[in-house]
Amino acid sequence: MPADPNMKILVVDDMSTMRRIVKNILKQLGFNNLEEAENGQEALTKLKADTYGFVVSDWNMPVMMGIDMLRAIRADESLKKIPVLMVTAEAQKENLMEAVQAGVSNYVVKPFTAETMQDKINKIFK
Amino acid sequence: MAQQRAAAQSQPATDEPEQEEKAPDTKLYEELGELARFIDTTMKTLSEFSTPVSTSTEQLPQALSHLTNLKTMTEQGTHRVMLEVEAIQDNHLKLSGMIKELTLALQKTQAAPALLQQMQAISDTIGADDKRLLDIMTALSFQDLVAQSLNKLVTILQEVEHKLLQLVVVFGPYQKQAAKQEQDKASQMLKQLEATKNTSMDQDLADEILKQFGFN
Repeated sequence: MPADPNMKILVVDDMSTMRRIVKNILKQLGFNNLEEAENGQEALTKLKADTYGFVVSDWNMPVMMGIDMLRAIRADESLKKIPVLMVTAEAQKENLMEAVQAGVSNYVVKPFTAETMQDKINKIFK
Repeated sequence: MAQQRAAAQSQPATDEPEQEEKAPDTKLYEELGELARFIDTTMKTLSEFSTPVSTSTEQLPQALSHLTNLKTMTEQGTHRVMLEVEAIQDNHLKLSGMIKELTLALQKTQAAPALLQQMQAISDTIGADDKRLLDIMTALSFQDLVAQSLNKLVTILQEVEHKLLQLVVVFGPYQKQAAKQEQDKASQMLKQLEATKNTSMDQDLADEILKQFGFN
């Protein structure tokens, strides 16, 4: 099923510039219902308070890392089906394996292009 | 340091010639005394480095401040470029809508095909520029990578500052031939430094340590 352009997407990153870049790319790809959070903890609070169709999250963040947020999402009955795309500067194989084991939907390494983002979203929502 | 040890070893503790004549506890006592003298010589030598060490320590907060400013400046500059890119993207969206309406109006008036082709060419150019704007936007993710590297540098410098302050505390009282009261103070400061090992350095503590040992 293709991605719903009206679904609410949560962009999680501690860097304001990266949140703005990811939101801009998603907007250019046709998604307009975009929210943001500065860390995993804030993201979990928002995810529990509203209905989201997709999460794009950074790996390295203060307060709560992206990988810990992912584990919390997969452990929560009401959130576990939300697709999570991890965006990270950490290209190590160990991190990728850790994310896969934690239930990540897909994985993008920084710096990335709009085409890469589109490709990953297409794969998640195929 | 090897030379110092050799120098310390070359000074015999007593004038007795044969060690095998001494009782084992006497020999151990003498070796301990020799070791103590070696440590004393080494500490005195190392304490001579205390002033340059403290000077470096005093400059570290300034270096940390420069790095933090650099991160802020790249972040502000990136947001400024993003603002302009977003403004052009918004203008392009409006222009695309206007071109679509104009094209429809021209088609209704059965305008010349060449005119419609020109409208299409304008639309294509805007589309190509939109792609470039998106490329500019994604290229700005360099700022995130720069910020992460700067954060790592800040952490390393904080660790170095911590270690240098430990050296100042250890050698400060030694250099000044301080009284027991000052050495107790140094011991207390070492404990405080240890407590802040895994957190950012409290600037007040750093200043207090440097002041205590005469570096204002």
